Amino acid sequence: MSGEDRLVEVSGDGYPVGLRDLEDPPPIHVLGQLTPSPGVAVVGTRRCTRYGIDLAESFGHVVARSGWTTVSGLARGIDAAAHRGALRSEGHAVAVLGCGTDVCYPRENRPIYDRILDTGGAIVSEYPQGTPPARWRFPARNRLIAAMSAAVVVIEASRTGGALITARLAAELGREVFAVPGDVDREASEGCNRLLRDGAHPVLGAEDLVEELALILGPPPGTRVVRSIPDGGVDIEELAQLWNISISEVLVKVGTLELAGRARRRGGRVYPV
Amino acid sequence: MYAAAMSVALVGGVARAVEVEVHVGRQQESFKLSGLPDTAVREAKDRVRAAISSAGMDFPNRAVTVNLAPANIPKAGTDYDLPIAIGVLSASASIPHASGAIITGELALDGKVRSTSSTLGAGVLSAQMDLACVVAKGAAPDAAAVPGARVFGVNTLAEAVDLFRHGLEATPEPPTRANPSSPHRSPDMCDVKGQLLARRALEIAAAGGHHLLFHGPPGGGKTMLARRFASLLPPLTESEAVEVALIHSAADVVRGVLPDRPFRAPHHTASRVALVGGGSGIPVPGEASLAHRGVLFLDEMAEFPRGNLDTLRQPMEDRVVVIARKAMTVRFPAAFQLLAATNPCPCGFHGDPRKPCTCRTAAVDRYRRRLSGPLIDRVDLVVEVGRVSAGQFSATSSEPSVDIRNRVIGAKEFGRARTDQIANAARDAIGAALESGMITARGAVRIRRVARTIADLASEPVVDEEHVAEAMALRNEW
Repeated sequence: MSGEDRLVEVSGDGYPVGLRDLEDPPPIHVLGQLTPSPGVAVVGTRRCTRYGIDLAESFGHVVARSGWTTVSGLARGIDAAAHRGALRSEGHAVAVLGCGTDVCYPRENRPIYDRILDTGGAIVSEYPQGTPPARWRFPARNRLIAAMSAAVVVIEASRTGGALITARLAAELGREVFAVPGDVDREASEGCNRLLRDGAHPVLGAEDLVEELALILGPPPGTRVVRSIPDGGVDIEELAQLWNISISEVLVKVGTLELAGRARRRGGRVYPV
Repeated sequence: MYAAAMSVALVGGVARAVEVEVHVGRQQESFKLSGLPDTAVREAKDRVRAAISSAGMDFPNRAVTVNLAPANIPKAGTDYDLPIAIGVLSASASIPHASGAIITGELALDGKVRSTSSTLGAGVLSAQMDLACVVAKGAAPDAAAVPGARVFGVNTLAEAVDLFRHGLEATPEPPTRANPSSPHRSPDMCDVKGQLLARRALEIAAAGGHHLLFHGPPGGGKTMLARRFASLLPPLTESEAVEVALIHSAADVVRGVLPDRPFRAPHHTASRVALVGGGSGIPVPGEASLAHRGVLFLDEMAEFPRGNLDTLRQPMEDRVVVIARKAMTVRFPAAFQLLAATNPCPCGFHGDPRKPCTCRTAAVDRYRRRLSGPLIDRVDLVVEVGRVSAGQFSATSSEPSVDIRNRVIGAKEFGRARTDQIANAARDAIGAALESGMITARGAVRIRRVARTIADLASEPVVDEEHVAEAMALRNEW
């Protein structure tokens, strides 16, 4: 189904520069296209909240739209949402796997996997094709995500999650670490709040993230699109208040935007495209 | 000596006339009962004998043969006590022949007449056949609620005997009017704060007869909304009300002849028989038929065993439940509207903006899969109900049910009168969404249907782009 990947040696052309910062940079298997644009990892827990999903999509979106590469791990939850956001912008998305590049795990993310390849992104792994997913390979995968990226944004993470490993490795490699502050009593935010205590940059929103990243990576190469719906999405019922029209009229507008491919809806929330 | 009395049997929610033939022969004393009687009917013999003697009359000490015709309808219960007693008394020439009335009632040993589940059926037959009916006094108002029924209520066998001796000359029961403060009245939509999306979905579902599924975290008000749905539906017509009441009486559920639409909410532990009907002996209607012309509400739908849910497919398709038995096939009408509510996952917080879901992913998938397949394919509207924010909670009062119901009635009337047309642009919009993979082929059919209803609500004969757009915005693939 997915074609054969190619092995890129550490000294080879197109080897991601950041990976050479690792003590033991591995040769990597690449399916699709890598670009030299700086990578920004958007990662988090699989056990996330809808709030986390919304932010991950929004951040994945603005990063890729700004012309940087959105890097994540194709896991459920935050990772998948970050990829989806990036794909929505038609920007560059890279998924780093803990299994062979021909193995889509979890299978439910197959549409994302396919779209990444269709839109000129890349699937990357240090394991040969056919390698099955295994729990112990994921921390090694996280190390690649951290090294490949110029900055790591942790959306939601529990105190013990893999996202924290990525963040700590990134910090050790001198990458910028961003974390989304959350309620102190929410399990899914505990990891992020600890990162903040330990000196990570707090993220105050999509626009704020772009500004902060611009300070590190230089001005974003991409251009901005004007929209009437906020990046993080909005409740349809809120739009009725915001626009001061009936729910039926809101639905007509939302449906029209959707049909025109300019908005996307999930449940009772609508997101810009 | 021969005499016949008329009685009634409920078969598949329809009242059928039963003739109680009694023959009193010259032979030695005996009592024979034929015509598919069940145990309770067989035991009528002893009650009838005691009641006749308590009424101060003589039970013939000769060969009494009772036949319940037509013999192919199974008869159950104590409903035939009174007609058998009257038949025996007229066959033994104690009273005139009594074939001009539908008679039903259980006899107590002291001659008192108790009400039976076929009281309403007697009223229905009375109206249909233009005959009088004789039922227990206590239940007479039930039968008198049927328009056109001529009902006589009796307290005792002696009173019934008197009635026939005087050729049914007494004054019949006055017709019963539905009590406007019936306990079946649905709660009102004005109690629901916010939830604009769900309210709109309910209105469309009511206007178009669409099945509807609410999903969302616990505490969002799914159940509260669903329980108010019946209040958005137009009232039952008189004949519908009789039909519905008759089905209820076949299941021994007391419900008068009321204009309120039935609202049935079986618990998820309900058995298949409880859901679609059946049972040992004479098949009784299940929840699907009790919800006929009303609402079948499945709360926590994913908690229902899959096999039990699947039994609802046939009634949803055919609007009738068919129970096939060796001896006969019974059909119960089941034209219900399905309303369902479910959590998105076992813990209830999958997709919640604030609270993480604590379920394992496999468990979430399994939970959702329970609702997939043929049943959910017939549900046109799948709407997420989020939790109400504090702002919405303090919002000013919401629109009451009566206003919504008036729009629903208007849309239904409009829908009956117009021919279905769709603008080219609207058709193209659905086609484009289908092509881009935004919706599936089934989804397109659903959107088409819902758009039609939205147009009806706006009194527009032609479905246009805006109607399709709104239907798009309401769609929600489960």
